[in-house]
Amino acid sequence: MSKGTEQSPKQSRLKNWLLSIDSLKIMKWVVYLFFFLFLVLPLISVFLVSFTGQPVNLLGSLVNPDIMATNIERLSNASLEHYASLLGGGTYFSALQNSLALAIGVSILVIIMCIPLAYAFARTTMPFKKTLAALCTIPLIVPTFISAAGFIIMFGRTGWVNTLYQSLGFDGLLINAYSMTSIVLIQVFFFFPFALWPMVAAFKIADISLEEASNNMGAKNWSTMVFITFPLAIPGIISAALLIFTVSFSDFGTPIILAPDGLNLIVVEAYREISGFFNWAGASILTIVMVAVAAIFFWLQRFITRNMDYGTLSGKPKGTKLNDSKVVTRSLFVYTCIVLVLPMLAIFSVMIQSFATTWGTGLLPRGFTMDHYTTVFTRSGDNIMNSLLLAGGALIISVIVATLVSYFVVRENTSKLDFMSSIPLIVPGIALGIAYIQTFNTAPLQLTGTAFLLIVAYAIRRMPYMIRSTMGTMMAIKSDIEEAAVNLGASKLVAIITVVGPLMLPGIAAGSILVFVTVIKETSITVLMAPSDWAPMSLMVFQNLLRGEVYTASAMAMLIIALVIILQSIANKMTKNSLY
Amino acid sequence: MGSVKVKNLVKKYDKATALKGVNLDIKEGEFYALLGPSGCGKTTTMRCIAGFENPTSGEVLIGEKVVNSVPANRRNCGMVFQSYALFPHYNVFENVAYSLTIRDLYNGSFGQRAKTFARLIHKKLGKPSKEIQEKVHDALKYVELDHLADRGVNELSGGQQQRVALARALVMEPSVLLMDEPLSNLDKKLRNTMRTTIRKIQQDLKITTIFVTHDQEEAMSMADHVAVMRDGEIVQMATPTELYSNPKDPFVADFVGSSNIYQGKVVDRKENGDSIVKVNDNTILESTTHTDKEDVEVLVRPEGIEILKNGRMEDHNVLEATVKISTYLGPTIRYDIELAGMEVMVEEEFQPNTTLFKEGDVIKVFLPAERVLLI
Ligand SMILES: Nc1ncnc2c1ncn2[C@@H]1O[C@H](COP(=O)(O)OP(=O)(O)OP(=O)(O)O)[C@@H](O)[C@H]1O
Ligand SMILES: [Mg+2]
Repeated sequence: MSKGTEQSPKQSRLKNWLLSIDSLKIMKWVVYLFFFLFLVLPLISVFLVSFTGQPVNLLGSLVNPDIMATNIERLSNASLEHYASLLGGGTYFSALQNSLALAIGVSILVIIMCIPLAYAFARTTMPFKKTLAALCTIPLIVPTFISAAGFIIMFGRTGWVNTLYQSLGFDGLLINAYSMTSIVLIQVFFFFPFALWPMVAAFKIADISLEEASNNMGAKNWSTMVFITFPLAIPGIISAALLIFTVSFSDFGTPIILAPDGLNLIVVEAYREISGFFNWAGASILTIVMVAVAAIFFWLQRFITRNMDYGTLSGKPKGTKLNDSKVVTRSLFVYTCIVLVLPMLAIFSVMIQSFATTWGTGLLPRGFTMDHYTTVFTRSGDNIMNSLLLAGGALIISVIVATLVSYFVVRENTSKLDFMSSIPLIVPGIALGIAYIQTFNTAPLQLTGTAFLLIVAYAIRRMPYMIRSTMGTMMAIKSDIEEAAVNLGASKLVAIITVVGPLMLPGIAAGSILVFVTVIKETSITVLMAPSDWAPMSLMVFQNLLRGEVYTASAMAMLIIALVIILQSIANKMTKNSLY
Repeated sequence: MGSVKVKNLVKKYDKATALKGVNLDIKEGEFYALLGPSGCGKTTTMRCIAGFENPTSGEVLIGEKVVNSVPANRRNCGMVFQSYALFPHYNVFENVAYSLTIRDLYNGSFGQRAKTFARLIHKKLGKPSKEIQEKVHDALKYVELDHLADRGVNELSGGQQQRVALARALVMEPSVLLMDEPLSNLDKKLRNTMRTTIRKIQQDLKITTIFVTHDQEEAMSMADHVAVMRDGEIVQMATPTELYSNPKDPFVADFVGSSNIYQGKVVDRKENGDSIVKVNDNTILESTTHTDKEDVEVLVRPEGIEILKNGRMEDHNVLEATVKISTYLGPTIRYDIELAGMEVMVEEEFQPNTTLFKEGDVIKVFLPAERVLLI
């Protein structure tokens, strides 16, 4: 009180003005600006370019009237001709067709393959259930371009599986690594865990009492399974299928390495248009198509799951009687092992190759060596460092943004932010990359080719996952704790930093590791956007694979896998015994 | 320290109106209780005073100054939350020191502020000043928790947590202390001790205090003044005794003590102004209440009812009643009797020579005229 009188009125007016600025509101605008600049604007630009066929510099129009004039002229010449050519047949059309066929095929196969698995995990006393469950998450850990490398080692012209096949007296190749078949196989066997766990949940949730009623009425177990359990789980299964569709449709790692020349897939096509030919029109049309398809399926999935509540589904529902028939559990056990064989062999092949002196035609390499690892550590130390720095940068951005977004969404019901921050879920990596390159390749915000833009792209792409993680802990923090801080004199921002932030730590930590891991695995954005002096590990593997330096590629790939496994298990530990 | 005034406070939510023009006038150093049933707007009133809600209209004054536009963090209201809202990542000392540390964060040179900030992030990153240490320990001594300063707050009992919350609010020397049902999470015995503690501290510090509760006993036993709320309005403001002996309407009467209310008609007035009322068409009662009204509500407090026995006689206000249940409670006996069509509970002290009534007995009871209130 007494201090006020010592200050001159001018000073105190300034101070009052400074104090009246609500720092939290400023943060909110900063978050909005971030999403606008790095998500909405690139998508709008790409959308416009798909009509004009020429770059549209929206930011430039704001600062420079000349650019504005050019843009207006270009926009006035906008036409649907590019879209017409898309639908009129030709390469784009076939690329879309092929990608849709691939994604649909993969989803159907995954579901068929997962039904027995999900039943086994949800409803039986299958032996070694825990171990098998852990093994079933491993395929998710491996970036698809590394699985693709494994497939080349197995099913390449001189791959050991094909060699084995020929030595058994067959002609030709069992499977050609560079074919649609092998792309389908990789996606099926490496993406199935995405569908498996939701399906397990669906099988658990299916109403047990109905089943019992059915059994009481004399129905046989198998008929109960077919007519009661299965139909009840159908919404969950469809939702899983849609998820697989989106994942397969936007997967870049597999097709970019394995797609043969004759096979057009939309992600590969888009990549070539932008990085090979700088074809703005083509790339942006493909981008819009990719986003549109992903959006439709994402929306469908949400629509189907809107009434489903898996929230409390952690344990067995009450009164579940697990199927313990020996015949059933043992055959399911064998089945699960068979499913796991292919992905394990692929990973194993990469591992063997990373230790091989040379591995030509033959079941096994000539000899074993640690040389490739030495090479990786001496020559590619920079790449490792780059990966860590880029992932770290993306991490910092997503921690800050995600914390604030969760705060605004949970405390202030800012649903606009909630919606905006979930948009990246429907933007395939390659599409986001193309949109960025187009939007930021000229002044005033010329960022294309900088590490900063790459970091922002990583952060935006993984934001929904980070937010899901922080939002959960945010909801668990009662608002009166924060009010207590404000009541004790802290401004809202200080309250968030000193009280809310520390309490959110478990969620932030788990989310951070997830972001870190996925950034290290990230392929599409990396390949498209990484500047050469900032090449991360994944780009290194990718380029080495293309150049035929397969041994160092394998060594580096193993390093990535090891890093991912370590970080992921730390994250799992953390979410299990959260700090408070 | 300061007085608190609330003028015509209205708070509307999208669908509901929580406050419909609340007026409060609380003098400096007073202990004021806000009493009312659930949902009547007590918390909302308090949150408007603390600055967590923006009133739709009306004014809040603290120490004669309108504070409507002052943000919550600069109102200097110490608040004790119903859930205590302790910071789980800080220990007892850090919890209590929070407001002082925050004060440091907003004052001093850049370097000092940076240090303070570091200390807020983790206690290992800096030491609190002597002054803070002293103040915190003083506050903790007040609530008799000095020995637990280094404990984590989750390692405390409910009562201890409650006292930490109180110390945390007191240490900032607030102009007003706001407490929202602070005792509702404690068991009955602890609640009684805490009542005494809180009242004693309030008296020692002479701190203006607003205490929200829906427990009339709590309000009546602790506060200097009680404001009874209903549906977003203050129904009556008075001292506990006044409230009890002179409730303004049946709602208040019912709320501040168990009582029996009959419909009645004033049929005559005595020379001194006392009223004669007719209850249930046939019972005539005298009351010391002076009133102009014809139709009244007749309030009889159970403590006012005396059982007539051992030949004791009265010439007025004697009624017949039937014993329904008699319960022996040790030092007292409780009779549930039917009195003029209503179930009433009467308690009587037990003495060796007391005549005991049993179920079904018809007894005579006397209602002293000053215990019959007309509203
Ligand atoms: N954020 C809100 N939005 C809408 N209505 C609200 C909100 N907060 C309170 N109300 C309504 O305002 C009224 C008063 O609520 P308030 O919390 O002040 O009651 P209270 O007297 O503290 O009750 P209790 O004793 O149960 O704590 C209630 O009817 C409540 O439903
Ligand atoms: Mg309340």
